Amino acid sequence: MQQLTRRYFLKTTATAAAGAVVLPVLSRDWLAFSATDTKGYFEAGFGITDDLCRKILARALARGGDFADLYFEHTITNYLMLEDGKVNRAFTNIALGAGIRTVKGDQVGYGYTQELTEQSMLAAAATAATIATSTATTPAGAFIGLKTENYYPLKTLMSDIPLSSKLPMVQSVNDRCFALSPLVIKVTAGFNDVQKRVLIVSSDGTKAEDLLPSNFLFTNVVAEKNGRKERAGWNLGGRKDFSFYTQAIADEVAKTAVERTMILFDAVKPPAGEIPVVLGPGLTGILLHEAIGHGMEADFNRKKISTYATMLGKQVAEPFVTIIDDATLPGLPGSLNVDDEGTPGQKTVLVDKGILTSYLHDKISARHYGVASTGSGRRQSYEHYIQPRMRNTYMLAGPATPDDVIKSVEKGIYVQDVSNGQVKIGEGDFAFYVSQGRMIENGKLTAPIKDVNIMGNGPKMLKNVTMVANDLQMSRGGAGMCGKGGQGVPVGFGQPTILVKSLTVGGTQA
Amino acid sequence: MNKELLDLAKWSMKIANSAGADECRVGIQSGRTVEVSYRERKPENIKEASTRALFIEVFASHRYSAQNTSDLRKDSLKTFIENAVASTKLLAEDPFRTLPDPKFYRGRADVDLGVFDAAYDTLSPEARHATVKAIEETCLTKGGPKVISVTAEVSDERSDFVLMASNGLEAQRSLTYFTAGAAMTLQDEGSRRPNGYHFVTTVAKRTLPGAEEIGLEVARRTFDLLGGVKIKTETLPVIIENSNVPRVLNGLIAAMYARAVQQKQSFLADKKGKRIACERFTLIDDPHVVGGLGSRLFDGEGLATRKRVMIDAGVLNEFWVDWYYGRKLGWEPTTGGMSNLVIPPGKRSVKEIMKDLGRGILITGFIGGNSNSTTGDTSMGIFGRLFDHGEPVQAVAEMNIAGNHLEFWQKLSEVASDPWPYSSWRTPSLVFTDVVVSGT
Repeated sequence: MQQLTRRYFLKTTATAAAGAVVLPVLSRDWLAFSATDTKGYFEAGFGITDDLCRKILARALARGGDFADLYFEHTITNYLMLEDGKVNRAFTNIALGAGIRTVKGDQVGYGYTQELTEQSMLAAAATAATIATSTATTPAGAFIGLKTENYYPLKTLMSDIPLSSKLPMVQSVNDRCFALSPLVIKVTAGFNDVQKRVLIVSSDGTKAEDLLPSNFLFTNVVAEKNGRKERAGWNLGGRKDFSFYTQAIADEVAKTAVERTMILFDAVKPPAGEIPVVLGPGLTGILLHEAIGHGMEADFNRKKISTYATMLGKQVAEPFVTIIDDATLPGLPGSLNVDDEGTPGQKTVLVDKGILTSYLHDKISARHYGVASTGSGRRQSYEHYIQPRMRNTYMLAGPATPDDVIKSVEKGIYVQDVSNGQVKIGEGDFAFYVSQGRMIENGKLTAPIKDVNIMGNGPKMLKNVTMVANDLQMSRGGAGMCGKGGQGVPVGFGQPTILVKSLTVGGTQA
Repeated sequence: MNKELLDLAKWSMKIANSAGADECRVGIQSGRTVEVSYRERKPENIKEASTRALFIEVFASHRYSAQNTSDLRKDSLKTFIENAVASTKLLAEDPFRTLPDPKFYRGRADVDLGVFDAAYDTLSPEARHATVKAIEETCLTKGGPKVISVTAEVSDERSDFVLMASNGLEAQRSLTYFTAGAAMTLQDEGSRRPNGYHFVTTVAKRTLPGAEEIGLEVARRTFDLLGGVKIKTETLPVIIENSNVPRVLNGLIAAMYARAVQQKQSFLADKKGKRIACERFTLIDDPHVVGGLGSRLFDGEGLATRKRVMIDAGVLNEFWVDWYYGRKLGWEPTTGGMSNLVIPPGKRSVKEIMKDLGRGILITGFIGGNSNSTTGDTSMGIFGRLFDHGEPVQAVAEMNIAGNHLEFWQKLSEVASDPWPYSSWRTPSLVFTDVVVSGT
């Protein structure tokens, strides 16, 4: 059970749950599936036929309901870790199971099982069916396979990449970090990869299959100078093929982490209170994720608990502000060929030239509002039910230059890198943690700052975005995870340099 | 002992050994979970499942890996373990990777921790629905016309766990958890819709508060958020409410692990035996609290647990030391992770303390923020209530507190008498003086 205020955290630190160096247990048919084979995987490997699906769906709808769906998942997570100079540990997690959902209006019955046997799945379906109390409804007679774009094509399955290819890459990050500065005293580095295969079958006749990669290379560096220690890290990744991880990428991870650590030795504490804040391009898009993105998830709005519940169609920002949530950007962490309900991945404009235009819908909220799903129905795993979620959220570029934005501030702070965002949906109050930034004095970037929490209010902040620059960047990290209702899903962020004329900066000087 | 799980663990160890593992540790968990939530006086979600998972840690030629799977069919598992052992041998050697010395397994306390409630198996779907309906009804009644939404939830879980290691460890435990609570949203000024909540978890059904008590507390907490505003930046005493203390304490705890010390990521690395907080602050790791949510007779490595005073009257007494990082540091292991964290309570209630404090802020929640375990720097968003001599003045929101843990815990001026019983962190409310609270 999660408490509501704990439901909206966002972590971008390079933590990973588990990872894999072993192959899962496979049948011969199963092994024959390659990176380019996404159809028929569950039928060949686990005997999940259309007839069986129809039988389970019929059980799920035995007491009525608007629709039911099945979600089959087989995920292999691998995590290689280097510590004290050697890649000396590896973690593997294999998740195999099926989730069965019955929906009646906005009510959900849900059962799941880790055994893909007919008996277990029928039992889970019977649990799901308890949400309804009328007469049985019938699933579609035939399932039609969904054709989708592929926003994350793979040349090779990550599980087919030998350890002999992964180990030197992680080792080289470590060696490069130490080579870059004699002040470096500790390095941890690792490679995390997730390979998820899913099959979604709905009583409306939809059938969709997907193969989702998710991976990143990371390092954390500790340096010591005059008895003082500082720590910082960096990661690069997303929904990538292993060919993305070149020596240049490994070098970039190391170089960025070391540079980010060294600058902290000069960091100062910013003043506390309300001041202008300039957010640099890229990862700072977490601001949008917290300040507006969560509030636009339609479950919060159909329940009327979001601060944005009555603002659709209204002017919420200046006309140069356009904010998008997009599943179709190649290789980014939040991209989806198909969402977890079988709706194709798509692009949703949340704010169009300052006007609030669309919530993020799953099937339940789409039916509630009488609109089409935006393909935003996501879940962490077969153990979890669907929620409307963000994918890759960003603001389009504006007319100013980054220099113009910084020069316009007499005294404020420049935010370069952030983490640990959180929002209170009903109030719209949000926070994010600045791990890297600078003071702005007389229109110029001056002393570095670090370890500062910034707070604001979503609707107020949107109105206070007074400048948007022309340098939109998407974050290139692959470790961004968004939490909601006890579920974590990978997401992406992007933003150009923007000026928010006032946010509250946490500090120790009153 | 759960014979089925034990037999599977023994069988798994045999397979690992035959495949070439020098040593291994196997844990198997089996459980059942049920969740029911209500909204608008009808079920919103009903969820139920039985789960099983096996993890195995392989030690082969001083090399190490850990594997986890939910596929426990024996033919699948055999290949899984054999592959795990083969792959482990490809990693770099690490001389510190071994199973613990078996002497640390011995001496498990002979005490009934009271963490399993046999009543779990008699809990009916009707009883669950009746409880959650009653919580929702209390919230709706108390909330009146200001209510926008109430979602009430109950959940329960039974978990059986066995842990075995090839050098003689054999341990098992069974746990139950019962959770109940609700989230409520009210209409405030403008577009603000404060969302309050109250959830409680216990190991025994009989110790869960009644539905009406829970509902009333949900409503009280949510109404207290109405009218929340940001006030000017000010240096004030603050009281951190008992259930929210872990958010601050966690920043201190993160630096008290052997891994943080060995990896040079602990601002407390050289502080053992030194004062790191005011003398009013004592922190105990007590694994043997009867009915405690963190109670246990053995830890994740099988080490027998015992009560430890981690911080004694402000002096750092111990670190959490697991076997591996203990060997790297040359330290004797204590335990790899906390059980029940106990701060001995003081004598006065929060109400009494507030009367004497003058103007201050009662912090009832945190938002965002972080803590740097390497430097001790921390900064967090807060909300709560401004008070003056015990009288509420104004709800506050969208504000921040910041500092460094080595300074912050010296500002602790009083410990209240109200330890939070619904968590393994049994923390009373804490009073800190001279805290800069950033606002306008």
